[in-house]
Amino acid sequence: MIFENLTQVLLLIGLIISAYLAIKFKDLLACAIALGIFSFLLSLEFYVLQAPDVAIAEAGIGAGLTTAIFIFAIRGTSRWEVEG
Amino acid sequence: MRNALLVISLIAIFAFFLYVAVNPGDLGGNTGDHLIFGEPRYSDMDDYFIHNGQNQTGANNIVTSIVFDYRGFDTLGEASVLFTAVLGVGVALRLLRRDKNDE
Amino acid sequence: MSKIVRTQASFLYTFVLIFGFYIVAHGHLTPGGGFQGGAVIATGIALVVVAYKFDEIKRRIKKTSLTAAEGIGLLSFIIAGISGIGVSFFYNWLANSGLLFGESVTYGINPGYLNTAGTLPIMNLAVGIEVLGGLGVIVLYMLHFVKGGERNAA
Repeated sequence: MIFENLTQVLLLIGLIISAYLAIKFKDLLACAIALGIFSFLLSLEFYVLQAPDVAIAEAGIGAGLTTAIFIFAIRGTSRWEVEG
Repeated sequence: MRNALLVISLIAIFAFFLYVAVNPGDLGGNTGDHLIFGEPRYSDMDDYFIHNGQNQTGANNIVTSIVFDYRGFDTLGEASVLFTAVLGVGVALRLLRRDKNDE
Repeated sequence: MSKIVRTQASFLYTFVLIFGFYIVAHGHLTPGGGFQGGAVIATGIALVVVAYKFDEIKRRIKKTSLTAAEGIGLLSFIIAGISGIGVSFFYNWLANSGLLFGESVTYGINPGYLNTAGTLPIMNLAVGIEVLGGLGVIVLYMLHFVKGGERNAA
């Protein structure tokens, strides 16, 4: 029980940190990777909460496909965030 | 200044939701109408699925037997939504590409 | 991408595909199902698309075949639903019938057998094919849009 609670707290702290990094980075490629890490941690959290169906869907779509689509979009536009 | 205001309002909203989730019914209304966080309402339908799902559909995974058998029509809607979304992406990107080539 | 990424991608591609098809085929026994398995297979396609060069992808993966997979998947899902129309739409007429996927299951915790659950595995397969075609074709559309625009601009 202690182990489960500790895992959940650590996962939630990691979620908040990765979400903050995804907003804060100026390098958009790093933002996409941070969003991928966010989705991966979210899928682990779903697995800890005993929802393996949602965990598989989140890991496949959130961490895999969305990151790939973001990388294509960055390739087509510019890599660095422009002010203003 | 604006950032500090943003952080303070976020913390206030979060604390409000946390308070309501832990102490339901403090803000008016009957306590029975509100649900304590983490303890969903009991219903007869889930017991029915758990007891009869294996015999009626023959699937060990109750989630799949609900998604594809008891609520199959919803899954048909979901599949057609995905189909329409892909159709929209194809049409939009094809139109954009034609505009780009015309310039 | 670099040669390291390409080698890793061509090595991992088969495993991701096998894992996705496993999730689709065992949808009525283990967690997962058509949608989740299709998403995992589409992730494998996206891995190859990210790693390799544009011309090679254009030669290897055809957009028309993925679009056809999407259409065939949705059509076979609807046909599997209509096939039980004698009783009602989406009636599971194959379950406990002794035919294909027709063995009965006893109530309680058991290991589970693949030859059960009636029309559920067929629908799982249909939805899996549809989702892999749909999500794969979205990734390919993005790649063609980005790369095609670059080529015309240069």
